[in-house]
Amino acid sequence: MGNTDLQRVTELRALIAGFLKKRLDDKLDKLKDYDPKRAELHEQFIPANWLGDAARRVSQIQAVTHSLKPIHPDAKGTNLYSSPDVQPVLTVVGSHCLGSEFTSDVVGNAAALDVYKFLKLEHEGRSLLALSLARDADLSAALSSDAAQAQAWMAAFGSLPERQGRVASHTLAKQLYWPVGGDPHDDSDFHLLAPLYASSLAHRVYQTVQDDRFSEEAIAARQAKKEDKYSPRPVREYPDLAIQKLGGTKPQNISQLNSERRGNNLLLASLPPMWRSMDVKPLLGTDSMFPRFNRRPEVRRMVKALLAFLKSDPTRNLETRRRRAEWVDGIIDEFLQFRAELRPLSPGWSQATECHLSNPIKHWLDPKGVERALASAGLPLPTDTAERVSALFANWLNAQLRDPLPMGDPEFLEWRNRMQEQIKAEEREGRHDD
Amino acid sequence: MMTEQPSNKALLVLPRLRVQNANAISSPLTWGFPAITAFTGLMTALERRLGPSAGIAFYSVGVVCHSFEPQVTRGGYTRSFHLTRNPLLHDGRTAAIVEEGRVHLDITLVFEVELTAALLGDTERAQLAVYIGDVIAGMRIAGGSVVPPLPGKVRNSPRPSIALVPGDPEGRRMEFRKLSRHWLPGFALVSRDDLLEARQAELQLTTPHATLLDAWIDLSRLNYRAIGDTVEPVEWVTDSRPGWIVPIPVGFVALSELHDPGAVAGARDPHVPFRFVESVYSMGQWISPHRLSNISDLVWEPDRNSASGLYRCINKYQAPSFAVSQATQIKESYYGNYRSQNRVRACIRAQAGPL
Repeated sequence: MGNTDLQRVTELRALIAGFLKKRLDDKLDKLKDYDPKRAELHEQFIPANWLGDAARRVSQIQAVTHSLKPIHPDAKGTNLYSSPDVQPVLTVVGSHCLGSEFTSDVVGNAAALDVYKFLKLEHEGRSLLALSLARDADLSAALSSDAAQAQAWMAAFGSLPERQGRVASHTLAKQLYWPVGGDPHDDSDFHLLAPLYASSLAHRVYQTVQDDRFSEEAIAARQAKKEDKYSPRPVREYPDLAIQKLGGTKPQNISQLNSERRGNNLLLASLPPMWRSMDVKPLLGTDSMFPRFNRRPEVRRMVKALLAFLKSDPTRNLETRRRRAEWVDGIIDEFLQFRAELRPLSPGWSQATECHLSNPIKHWLDPKGVERALASAGLPLPTDTAERVSALFANWLNAQLRDPLPMGDPEFLEWRNRMQEQIKAEEREGRHDD
Repeated sequence: MMTEQPSNKALLVLPRLRVQNANAISSPLTWGFPAITAFTGLMTALERRLGPSAGIAFYSVGVVCHSFEPQVTRGGYTRSFHLTRNPLLHDGRTAAIVEEGRVHLDITLVFEVELTAALLGDTERAQLAVYIGDVIAGMRIAGGSVVPPLPGKVRNSPRPSIALVPGDPEGRRMEFRKLSRHWLPGFALVSRDDLLEARQAELQLTTPHATLLDAWIDLSRLNYRAIGDTVEPVEWVTDSRPGWIVPIPVGFVALSELHDPGAVAGARDPHVPFRFVESVYSMGQWISPHRLSNISDLVWEPDRNSASGLYRCINKYQAPSFAVSQATQIKESYYGNYRSQNRVRACIRAQAGPL
């Protein structure tokens, strides 16, 4: 053993001894002074004994990046170690985004997780696992003076990321058919895809979200925002974040990282813009539709955003016009949605005496009812509904923005024209309430 | 006997399907509306159930959501799922809880299909549409059951229909616009892959190593920033973006080689090649259907790239960077040259009007 560095060997030995001592002390603390198990434990934690046992038990666990158990805790089958830095780079998000900086997970017998903790010990920035894989001579010398014995142990430790047993899936695992040929009626034109849980990726997302929610910097930033003070760190919120529990009260049965996440799997919200119930009431006892329209959370959000944007006094350029148009279009969309939601009402609701809406609004919201009423009275149909509704809309939007911004005729015309364009297009393409 | 290949383009619309207890956990990282792969999968299952002799071939599917009732807790900062009490085990112990997310949906499905010549008549199409409506009622959609509309909820509840697609582009556009008006109130899910790269580039201005994952997370949250630094009170602004943008799973990418049929123990089908995969993600947008001008803006199609091992659903929607008049709309091919198109549109707009 001419090429060993005595200094490193000593350090590695101290590292291992320190780890064993700490584990031993933790266990001894739980025992009474006269417990006969104390002697047993002392025996067990003699480095040669513990290392030999660990080398045997390492086969009960596997280092992975993708695991099966989060999909169903009773599923048994293949877990994979698929290093993100060798995966093809894609234009969509996946584990490949992690590059070389990822945390690998461990699955298998939770009773053997101490072996993984041992292999994760770092010396000069490299884990004992990495040193074992590299067959490091100094680690060999530190493990045992018997070179053959040390080599055998390192070989065992190095097998941690290797897949065990034959490739297998399970009835409780997800398996789905994906069409790959032209003919969906041909049974052979499919691939079976078995999604595994990307544990390393989920861990990165978890760490990011936890940092934004609970880290000291994040809390300080939130406090600064509350007090209208400056903070270099932005405040980040995850609205409607859901927490799914994996593994119930025993998250370690799923995997090591799941245990570190306390079994919390964070799910980002991917919701459509519709939370309210579909119960619609006719607009009665009010002379304007806008108060109800204004109560829609989306309308409030977009008007507020548009106001904030205009207040920031953006330079008058193309980009500004585009952004402004996008917000206004969003509000117009809500206006059209608002009207469509009233469609299931039976026609003629606007003819009730309690309905104090203006005539163009009545016609726009309840076209069939109004047309029927006019026809039976022998009166002509109004032809200017689009213009008048658009004007009312433009007036309303200007009123929302007028305080504190000066809103005048050019803006009025812009809002009115955008709205009218939509209503006209609708008329051209035929009524939808037939 | 030779069966005729379907070749006449049409749109099958299954309006206002009520789905109970659909899967709300769309991927290991997202929850909410079921994954789009659930709907492309439904399309394949439906086509196979109808059989090759039905004379109808399916190509892609679009989904419009009218109502969305997630079964989750509403208080506090985070949501958790309403769980079900499951039957006891055979020895009387309580079964372990495996959390599932559920949602009740009201959706319209639109399929791009082709029909055989024998099905072109109005009566034949109407019959087929009704038949498909009946078949769908007995199937699962995203794991949920299809239930009949509530009585009195929707006046004249709309029926399934098959509309022929006109040959000329203008007629096709008009026909689609007319159909799409029926889908209000509701929002359609379209792809916004472009936002991911754009946001990554933005992030890289301050953080050179920002990845697509960072961009994806950033687009999935609200960011508030302090403006200026000396004068108090400091103003905080939200990074706002117009449009209802959400993170979505779009498919899968291979983790292993393609195992031969039968080589994997426990596979559900020993006659089909098998592959381990992970979910991949992108951004989507919920958009009012009247903003779409073509059927290709709405529909998603399953696709596979054998070189990268990517199995994903593709939607060809291109966000209009400017409201251009229809006459100047540029013929769009899949994905292609998004940025150059924007430049062209910018020029058109710049010439068209004063600032």
